[in-house]
Amino acid sequence: MSAEADRSTIADPSLAPAGRQAIAWASRNAPVLNGLLRKRLGDGSFDGVRVALVVHLEAKTAFLATVLADAGARVVVAGSNPQSTRDDVAAGLVDMGIEVHSSRGSAYEQWEKDLLSVADTKPEYIIDDGAELTLRMAKHRPALFEELRGVSEETTTGVARLHALHDAGRLPFPVMAANDAACKYMFDNRYGTGQSTVQAVLALTNFLMAGKRVAVIGYGWVGRGIANYVRALGGRAVVVEVDPIRSLDAFMEGHEVAPIADAIADADLVITATGGMRAVGSTHFGHLKPNAVLANAGHHDLEIDVAALHQESSGVRTVREGVSCFDWRGGKQINVLAAGALVNIAGGLGHPIEIMDLSFAVQGLSSHELVVGDYAPGVHVLPRRLDEEIARARLASEGVILDSLADDQFDTMQEWI
Amino acid sequence: MTENIVSPGSAAEGLSRIEWAKQFMPALFEAGQDLLESGALAGRRVGIVLALEPKTAVLALTLSEAGADVAVYADAASTRDSEAAALASKGIAVFARSDADEATDVLLLDRFIDWGIEFLIDDGAVATRIIHTSRRDMLPTLVGVAEETTSGVRPLRVMADEGALEVPCLAVNDCDAKQLFDNVYGTGQSVVMSVIDATNTQLQGKEVVVVGYGLVGSGIAGAAHGLGARVTITEIDPIKALKAVHDGYLVQPLREACLSGDVFITATGVGYSLTAAEAQLMKDGALMAVGGEGPPEIDLTGDPSVRLGDEVRPHVREVHLDGDRSVFLVADGHCSNITAGEGNPIEIMDLSLAVQCRAVHHLAEKGAGLRPGVYDVPPDVANATARAALARKGIAIDTPTAAQELDASSWRTN
Repeated sequence: MSAEADRSTIADPSLAPAGRQAIAWASRNAPVLNGLLRKRLGDGSFDGVRVALVVHLEAKTAFLATVLADAGARVVVAGSNPQSTRDDVAAGLVDMGIEVHSSRGSAYEQWEKDLLSVADTKPEYIIDDGAELTLRMAKHRPALFEELRGVSEETTTGVARLHALHDAGRLPFPVMAANDAACKYMFDNRYGTGQSTVQAVLALTNFLMAGKRVAVIGYGWVGRGIANYVRALGGRAVVVEVDPIRSLDAFMEGHEVAPIADAIADADLVITATGGMRAVGSTHFGHLKPNAVLANAGHHDLEIDVAALHQESSGVRTVREGVSCFDWRGGKQINVLAAGALVNIAGGLGHPIEIMDLSFAVQGLSSHELVVGDYAPGVHVLPRRLDEEIARARLASEGVILDSLADDQFDTMQEWI
Repeated sequence: MTENIVSPGSAAEGLSRIEWAKQFMPALFEAGQDLLESGALAGRRVGIVLALEPKTAVLALTLSEAGADVAVYADAASTRDSEAAALASKGIAVFARSDADEATDVLLLDRFIDWGIEFLIDDGAVATRIIHTSRRDMLPTLVGVAEETTSGVRPLRVMADEGALEVPCLAVNDCDAKQLFDNVYGTGQSVVMSVIDATNTQLQGKEVVVVGYGLVGSGIAGAAHGLGARVTITEIDPIKALKAVHDGYLVQPLREACLSGDVFITATGVGYSLTAAEAQLMKDGALMAVGGEGPPEIDLTGDPSVRLGDEVRPHVREVHLDGDRSVFLVADGHCSNITAGEGNPIEIMDLSLAVQCRAVHHLAEKGAGLRPGVYDVPPDVANATARAALARKGIAIDTPTAAQELDASSWRTN
């Protein structure tokens, strides 16, 4: 047994063959990671660099771990949410010589313990999701936190948290907001989460989208994607927002916009995408239509207040895999998908492979910038030229050819300045 | 002696899924209530050939609760063992094993026919054709057939034209409450979803080639387009091809589309719609799936350099081509929404199975007086089914005014 395997804490090493098969499929569909990223990381800058990778632990994430390891990095991996870890993939990674601390469905305490095991490997860089490891290191491993040299962050929620940390004067190292790169949020959040959320909801319920009324809570990039896929498959989306500009955007896009009590009153499905807490909670359950189905597409497991629903219900049972039916106040049935965890990952396959090829190219290049660049403490975004390189690499892999402006096509504004 | 089902112990899991489906099937519930009140099927024998999953199980139970003796047959690729066990636990005769090889499937189908069917709900006219050929001994028992699919109605019409059809058959497939919804929205959504579920792929930016632009093909094209794909249609029928052009799709010969397509989905219901010769033209990594009838709709035999390889993920088989390229076949060429997914969505099957239920009801009351032939389902069946589905959604519609009715029924100009 390798030293990495020895140190790892995973559920079942015997699942490795299935995990390796899933990672191989991800590799097969990752032209940007296999091309641009491998080339860039191949400059030797990652030799012996300790990198912690804490993202939803499934096949695509695992493939990124192998690409970093192939570039010479010493990679240690944990899942950013225990509901989304795939035990076979974790076993596959360990089998490939990468240290992993993660088991599907582990309790909160065990999950935190896994994260701290990663922290104790003294990472220099973190590729984080929701800033889950970064925040825990700040709190529980302050000395190791001070030694971090950079963090690249995957999500909207995590970027907001890291900004808050910076504003409080407690960020001693540079952060790359991978989420804020165009090749991330324009595709991952909108198309990736949008498609895979709708996909997971339909697979878990065996529902038809055509003719459904769907309340989408939150109209950021994720909510936008969900609302548009709902409409594309024949559903009617009603959007709930607190931000006037996003509300206007939803309205102009042709979606109905309504306050939550009205929106959920006749909704067959309610999907939360706020990235915040208790988007649907105690004050809302009474407004839901009987037998409504709730699902969460945002970062927190707490976006649907499942704990409150438990408290207010006389019983709960699993009616299909991934579907919990609550007897709310004895009279009304309310269904929750994937226990309120991210439905596309905990109840589905996660984002499509092609999308993660882009997102992880952003993560990879952001990490590379942190390693080779000279960034001050604070929150940064991948330089535009690197963002464009990713887009060009992907287009090239699809055989798409771009035009460029001819000399006489440039604006003449220079003459006026 | 092969048992008729695989795992009697898994009934509870199947029953739970059946229960979930049942609560979203108001039209079938109402059709079942009408059947129960009429008593038309009390003690009669109904045989069902349909993909055995939670929704068809609800139909079997509905007929059983209306007083019928019910038997179910499904082939291996269309069988979920826990649902089979669930039905068996409710006293239904089930002949379906997910692990059956071809010979076992033939054996199970024969036992199903042996059981003695008066009213047959058929899929692809599978049992009807056997009863008219090798099992003619069961013809005297058979009162009538209700056929579910496009690919079943076609051979029934051929049989009728040749004078070979000896029982009345209702073309359930052709009923508007079925074909305008099931074939378009149900199969469209579920086939496309099953392909992206099986492969974890994204349709945004993909070129999806849909072979055949009937109702199923148009539904698949619509779902793929909705999910961001560029859709190309291939057709042999000029009217359908022209319709596809007017719906905004690129129409090309299949061999041309093969050069640029990323995902190929056949929706013809006809064998050899996509063969090894076309596969050889495809790009490395292309995906192929069937949304129509299953083998041999995609047939990759006959070219020794096209070789089936390993299953690289569940329901995805690698197919090796010339020159170190490979493409991938979903669900081994069976209907991908059934084999790699859970069949059509619940609400769609509610409509189709409500029509089936009312069709059998009609056969039970009128079938004995009908001459052999292929009949449309009576128009009130479609309307009753649609009204029940609208009522569940809380949707009211208008009724014509006297003036409108008068105008609609007169031919004289004013």
